[in-house]
Amino acid sequence: MEQSSTSALLQGTVLDLASDVVSALRSGDHVRAGSTLTGGGAGEGVARAAVRVLGADTLLPSVLLRIPPDPGQLAVFKDAVAAHPPRDEAAPTVVWSHWAMTRALRRAEQPLTTPPADEPDAEPDARWLDGAGWQFLTHQLAVLAPLALPGEECAVTRVARSRPVDVARGFVRAVRRRDWQQAAGAGRWLTLLDGVPDTLGLEAGLDFVRLMGGSDPRVALQLEAARLMPAGVLL
Amino acid sequence: MNVREIEAAALDWVWAHRDRFALGDDALAADGQVNRTWKPLGELTQVCASVARCTPPGDPLHTRVCELLDFAWQQTHRGELFPLMQTLEPFATYPLEVYAAFASAGLRHPGYEASAAVLTRTRGWRLTEQYPTRRLGVLEAERRSGIDPHGDVPRALGRTWLGGLPEPWTFERAAGYALTHVVFHLTDWGRTTRGVPADLADYLLHWLPPWLDTCLDARMWDLSCELLAVAASLPRPPEPAVLKDAWQRVAAAQTTSGAIPEEGAAQDAAGADPGEDPYDFTDCYHSTLMAAFAAALATAAAARPPDVRHAARHAGQGAPG
Repeated sequence: MEQSSTSALLQGTVLDLASDVVSALRSGDHVRAGSTLTGGGAGEGVARAAVRVLGADTLLPSVLLRIPPDPGQLAVFKDAVAAHPPRDEAAPTVVWSHWAMTRALRRAEQPLTTPPADEPDAEPDARWLDGAGWQFLTHQLAVLAPLALPGEECAVTRVARSRPVDVARGFVRAVRRRDWQQAAGAGRWLTLLDGVPDTLGLEAGLDFVRLMGGSDPRVALQLEAARLMPAGVLL
Repeated sequence: MNVREIEAAALDWVWAHRDRFALGDDALAADGQVNRTWKPLGELTQVCASVARCTPPGDPLHTRVCELLDFAWQQTHRGELFPLMQTLEPFATYPLEVYAAFASAGLRHPGYEASAAVLTRTRGWRLTEQYPTRRLGVLEAERRSGIDPHGDVPRALGRTWLGGLPEPWTFERAAGYALTHVVFHLTDWGRTTRGVPADLADYLLHWLPPWLDTCLDARMWDLSCELLAVAASLPRPPEPAVLKDAWQRVAAAQTTSGAIPEEGAAQDAAGADPGEDPYDFTDCYHSTLMAAFAAALATAAAARPPDVRHAARHAGQGAPG
């Protein structure tokens, strides 16, 4: 009973946090967008866990809109990164999600005027995607949608760039399966890829995903990210 | 998993159940149920005509489908029933559509063709109201029956779902059946892969994989087999991994008698221990025919010259087709 209520609390916190990010992306102002992390509503542990679920996208407004992160949010994000390093046997998506968070944190903490510091964390490899079927590839990329950023350069983005048709097929599959979160994540990647067949109709496809699944803030987050991509700053 | 084994097993089932394709006394009744009489017979004929073309004389499968073609032709009294059907419903298109399947197998009735040509010259025939895909099918039926087509194929194609190159994520069951038949008509049921215009071929190579995958997931075996037939009707086939996966899933749905159910609901109704031949004829005859058809085309496509087959690589990641 206690477990299920904790799980429900976490799920609710993830949705609230995603709503905050969506509001910030839409308004361009995270301060007025919501305060799930700093309002004291969720316990510290739950807040950190929710940040882990949303990953680097928690800081997406500061990345895409070039606005400095709220110090309170940044502190929780930093705690979340520090408190849950991936275990040795962690799945590649968990390792990559942590890597993306570490990278986002470093970028958020660095004043734009200073040269980039050395990257202390070695980039994980993307060998688990070697020869992956297009269905699995798209699923994994959707899970790692926080890596889909303009100018992002890492092993996962290189795999995505090499397989635009497969990601587009995965988008079609996700829509057909009514898996709006995967569709939105794949759609976000597709906005960044060259070689996507024109017949996909990505813009109308993203509108369709919004129409059918946009009430879920996690879906809306990916769609907002996709909307801002073309105008996004280079990292 | 061997695609030819799927084909052979499906044809075994068809042979064992050929009497169910026989025309009954109601075939020419004013209130006859065409979908239960002429339609299955026409579908049997079309599939057998295609399999006969894909298999060399002497091959047991070739012999089997030729015997089935004889059986079907006998059902029409060697074509004599077509003029009678025409007398009952002169401006219905289905008699010509069924006849065209026989004609493509070389089973022809000159008297019927001459009388049909009188009707197809009318404005009324040209203006028959029907779905664009059906319109394309009638044009092809005319051509196969030695009649001047009443309209222009590219124009008819442009009005179909597939011809408009729609967003692939708008694919649903009805669109799926429409698009498979557009390809069947354009290629004369897999005979001329060059009948598919280049832009359509590229489009299909891009999007057949997710359509197949989701139809198979939904246990829509009938539509999945039609999509596999489309895959084998293209100038260049999709990636081998896509086809291998799809055929494995179709093989798993085939019963020991060779039957493949139209949809998963029939499997659910048959229960966990379905036995050798668990499905009603109406729940499996079409999908079983389509499996034989697709398998025959796939086997023939695999035997095409390597330089043609290897060109499929160009349909890859965003490269022009």
